[in-house]
Amino acid sequence: MIEARNLHKRFGRVTAVEDVSFTAEDGVITGLLGPNGAGKTTTMRMLYTLVRPDRGTALVDGVDVVRRPEEARRGLGVLPDARGLYPRLTAREHARYFGELHGLSGAALDKRVDELIDLLDMKDIADRRTEGFSQGERVKVALARALVHGPRNVLLDEPTNGLDVMSTRAVRTLLRRLKAEGRCVVFSSHVMQEVAALCDRIVVVAHGKVVADGTPDALRASTGKDSLEEAFVATIGSDQGLMQ
Amino acid sequence: MKRLFGTVFRKELRDHLRDRRSVLTALMFPLLGPVVFLVMFNLLASWYRQDRPLELPVIGRAHAPSLMAFLERYGAKLVEAPADYESRIRAGTLDAVLIVPEDYGREFSTGHTAEVQLVVDSSRQSARHSVLRARRLLEAYARFLGDQRLYARGIAPGLAIPVRVQELDLSTPERTAAGVLNMVPLFLVLAAFAGGMQLASDTMAGERERGSLEPLLLNPAPRSAVVTGKWLATVAMAAVAVLLTLVGYLLVVRRVPLEDLGVKARFDAPAALGMAAAVLPLCLAASAVQMWVSTYARSFKEAQTYLSLLMTVPMLPGMVLALSPLQTQAWMFAVPVLGQELLAGEVMRGEPLGPLPFLIAAASSVAVSALALRITTGLLAQERIVFGRG
Repeated sequence: MIEARNLHKRFGRVTAVEDVSFTAEDGVITGLLGPNGAGKTTTMRMLYTLVRPDRGTALVDGVDVVRRPEEARRGLGVLPDARGLYPRLTAREHARYFGELHGLSGAALDKRVDELIDLLDMKDIADRRTEGFSQGERVKVALARALVHGPRNVLLDEPTNGLDVMSTRAVRTLLRRLKAEGRCVVFSSHVMQEVAALCDRIVVVAHGKVVADGTPDALRASTGKDSLEEAFVATIGSDQGLMQ
Repeated sequence: MKRLFGTVFRKELRDHLRDRRSVLTALMFPLLGPVVFLVMFNLLASWYRQDRPLELPVIGRAHAPSLMAFLERYGAKLVEAPADYESRIRAGTLDAVLIVPEDYGREFSTGHTAEVQLVVDSSRQSARHSVLRARRLLEAYARFLGDQRLYARGIAPGLAIPVRVQELDLSTPERTAAGVLNMVPLFLVLAAFAGGMQLASDTMAGERERGSLEPLLLNPAPRSAVVTGKWLATVAMAAVAVLLTLVGYLLVVRRVPLEDLGVKARFDAPAALGMAAAVLPLCLAASAVQMWVSTYARSFKEAQTYLSLLMTVPMLPGMVLALSPLQTQAWMFAVPVLGQELLAGEVMRGEPLGPLPFLIAAASSVAVSALALRITTGLLAQERIVFGRG
């Protein structure tokens, strides 16, 4: 479970995130939806401990990300905005490296890496160097290394950005599976259809603030609009950046 | 912690060793020093060969038979000068030519100062030694005759010499050799920088450029473990480069005619160990500073530019030392780079040093490394470094 509590972040004179609070439950896919520049990535970075909030904090399974960032990271699997790979290492070596950094080793690590290669359907690329991988293959490697330690909480920043239809489907399948396993899944997106297709709960962010938080049905009801799309536009006050 | 930095260390080395081109670059550099050494020493030996008799072409031998006899008695080999001797001297195929003018005999026997001419090209380094030998022989002959003339008039020759300058050459053979050998410490220190340069660029700036730094820092491993692992991988490359350079010198020194130069430099196994002990600790500091500098760069190329500039730091004291050896003082050992160059130089000259200078130099390297690593670790907590991509 992830709880964001009154997160604030300023960069110089620009307020990126202003008083963001929400709770992402286990076994639920929570979507962080908002136009570009709304503060989604900054919020995510505060959740995964690489940006320190000016005020407020977040709890990952009860662990404070500001006070105990290393411990909080143990319970997190993250697909960040940056998905750089090491071009001279194979896909399998990427997963193993991150597994070892999480303290896994030996047969347990081998087994876990094999499972992930199976799950992400990457048998034919597992032992190839990642140089020259397609966008979809790169995301698979990045997901494998993010999930190698079997985290209870999974954070994904725009996971389907730049992916083709097949890869997008694969990512969606994976997210549903993580949900079915009872994990807490949070992903950010600026694509409404993406969020509508997957999320049980939607947190709409605009100008650094949470402007709506609830199930798709609740969102429709509160705005009095029939379609989700209309509901979003009504919520954030413009349709800029939300449509694909 | 220990296992974590071991993980990072192994990954970095494996990753780096798969990059054939940059490994080759890192390993080619150490061989440069020994090759320069080989060429320079062979060149020097050909200039200064002591055992060769002085070959002196003479014009007008018949005009001064007693001078000729004197020269031959003292080991000069007199030959007829070729007609085009001037252009030959300029071209460097002849060192010097002695000309005895026709009126030499007349001036000589009337007791005047007789003149001979020594034709040289003073801009040619290679002729310097032969010219010096010829001049010394001629001056010795003049002094010998002058003394005889004074004796003949009942005057002690000492009267005409109120002051005699006597040169005491303090340079032992080892010291003379070290004058030329001063390039060796410079190249050893350069290897400590060159060996890890590629890896240091890739491991910090490259990680930022690729966008793999953010995922890496998402692991629960402490930043200090990540930095330590990367640093040790850089140190390993630097140490290999230093050792390769040393081995290169050891191999080359057997093929260099040091004895022909009349000099002896210590380049045996204990001296090599001493030099390794002097220079290897510098790898710690050099790698740590390289990592620190590399962290500021947003791309591999930018890091390479900075680190190439950093390489000029060891060049400066090295050049000064090679040209004019300093009077060594204890505090100098504490200055990284300078300390190592001095130490390696002293070991090579065969000076007894004792362990203290080695410990001072190593301690200062360790201090510099600790500082640079601390700063680098701190940088990894800064958002502009973690997220600021090229």
